[in-house]
Amino acid sequence: MSKNKSPETKVMDQYTKNVLQNGISRRSFLSRATMGTGAVAFAGLTGSSALAETVDNQNLAKSSDGGATLDFMPKPKAIKDSQISSTQTFDVVVVGAGASGVPAALSAAESGAKVAVIQKQAIVVSQGNTGSGLDIKNCDKAGVEALVNRLLSDSAHRANPALLRKWAYNSGEAVSWVIDRTQKGGGSIVDQGTGPQHGIRGLTEYKLNFVTSFCGPKPYTTGDGMRDLAKVAEKAGVKFFFNTPANQLIQDPSGKVIGVIAQNRDGSYHKFMARKGVIVSAGDYQNNKAMCDFFIPDLKHFERKQMDRTGDGFNMVYWAGGVIEPIGHTKMLHDFDAGPASMCDMPFLAVNRQGKRFVNETVDMSLMNNYLRTAEDAGYYSQIFDSNYMTDAKDWPGKLWSPEEIKKYMPEDPTEKKGVYASQVNTFKANTLEELAVKLGCDPKTFKANVERYNELCKKGQDEDFGKPSNRLAPVLKAPFYGIHRRMRISAINSGMLVDVNQQALNADGNPIGGLFVTGNMAGGFYGGVDYPLTVFGLSLGRCYTEGYLTGKYVAKL
Amino acid sequence: MKKITLHKIVLSLAFSLFTTGAIAADSQLLEATHKDAGLVCKDCHINNMKDEVRMTTCIECHDTAELAETTAGHPITNPHENRHFGTETNCNYCHKQHEESVNYCGSCHLRFDLVTP
Repeated sequence: MSKNKSPETKVMDQYTKNVLQNGISRRSFLSRATMGTGAVAFAGLTGSSALAETVDNQNLAKSSDGGATLDFMPKPKAIKDSQISSTQTFDVVVVGAGASGVPAALSAAESGAKVAVIQKQAIVVSQGNTGSGLDIKNCDKAGVEALVNRLLSDSAHRANPALLRKWAYNSGEAVSWVIDRTQKGGGSIVDQGTGPQHGIRGLTEYKLNFVTSFCGPKPYTTGDGMRDLAKVAEKAGVKFFFNTPANQLIQDPSGKVIGVIAQNRDGSYHKFMARKGVIVSAGDYQNNKAMCDFFIPDLKHFERKQMDRTGDGFNMVYWAGGVIEPIGHTKMLHDFDAGPASMCDMPFLAVNRQGKRFVNETVDMSLMNNYLRTAEDAGYYSQIFDSNYMTDAKDWPGKLWSPEEIKKYMPEDPTEKKGVYASQVNTFKANTLEELAVKLGCDPKTFKANVERYNELCKKGQDEDFGKPSNRLAPVLKAPFYGIHRRMRISAINSGMLVDVNQQALNADGNPIGGLFVTGNMAGGFYGGVDYPLTVFGLSLGRCYTEGYLTGKYVAKL
Repeated sequence: MKKITLHKIVLSLAFSLFTTGAIAADSQLLEATHKDAGLVCKDCHINNMKDEVRMTTCIECHDTAELAETTAGHPITNPHENRHFGTETNCNYCHKQHEESVNYCGSCHLRFDLVTP
């Protein structure tokens, strides 16, 4: 019944209404363009340019004000039936084999569906180690709601509360399920419980406990975990098609999505029909430069951690009628590999590439990228400390690694690089400040002058330059000196397509698009801030697992 | 017949990379290597000279799994079997035909100083 109501009369939450009004969709542009043309006509003759600029609306996407043509999102070319080499029919077709797609496929199969996964790359691909959920039986409801409130605040109150609650109340079950099934596939995954969740300290007076899944130790990651989970999915009957990027969605005359056309790497086209639904879990668009420049210009000068994330899924869902969240998408930039992850938020002296102090170091690493957006900085900074760090920083947030332990992170030290990525470690030790500066790629003179200024402030006990609290002012005096050279690179972009609480894509009228579901980093509504928050470690993967698990089950039962 | 000959060329190239660790930058472009092996433009640009060559064309002659075995003991990392693509990295990412090849891994991985033939 509600399906026939216009968005203006439908009871709708703020988040959804806003995305419908300000997001990017085919209809939103067309209707606004019509209004614009009317206004111009009323105003008189000056409108000819506006009319002349109405270019190829049928084949190119437009910005929400209709002003910019988004030529990075061209309409997929129609594929004739004669070009189709094969057609196969399933109940559920999942696009993308990652941390959301693989759980979605397996949970759909466990619910009795015949499932296909089509994957652009040659293997299952995912990143990270930690994926978290709430151990809901061991939480007070007031605590859960306090956490939801905190996550909303982390997202600058721009997220969809319903989607956060869905994660909060279902993630324990979902993450435990992922752990169990991945272990059945021989995966190295464990539940670390609430232990690693340092970020929630002081968040609520009520009981809060976690299921914190950890794929590791490195080099084993969630990528390996999902590959092991895929083995279990294959045993459960899921068919994987690799090197088969999806090209476009197939819709019936009513607009319902009934399948996917994908292209093999030999160029041939194949149809994957879906009786119940298509779940698009195709990841973000960090490798699509034009798309990044449009949605998050801040990302221009940062290095990308992933490959082949070209936003194909966005394009498909958009042209099937979906709505993209407005400009201002949430980004995730970290470096847990250059030095110990547990020391990343410790407020040691920090200097940029020139060797200049640039920030009050109590700023979290997850936000540091905002000070390093220029071409010169490109996300690089170094944490500097001296030989007294074990005592100076013993009460600081996180966990210190001793001078012996930290050798693992030093490329110049012969210590075996076990449990770390040898090609990403980037911690250095030197007997003089000049020598350390050179190792960190800083100008030695600038570096030395900045360390000396910082030491002065430490001696004074007042940070007159950046206002850091006195108990975080540890001077850099005693050799050997240490530097962790961190590179803030893009792990993921976490915004995307408008969905309802069942992860079903909504069209520009706010109505669900039949047969079309979006999960994981490609789905909108779960974040909304400038940066991905680190309040709950592993929130991102925990969210991907949860949405995949629930959506697989839901679509299988349609 | 052509397939076997080419296959041997690849193996010997991979082997020389592995043993010497580096091939001088003045080594010839792969278009010349392919030409020396008796290939003509149309062997790769099958339908249209303007078409980009798909990886499936490469693997008509080059066996990716065997190639990965050949470079398995590479002192830096095995470029032909990695955590991103398994053994199926698109050849064209690193090996260029009409310009110098690139060290695709090195753009992210510190100290992956690979020399790509």
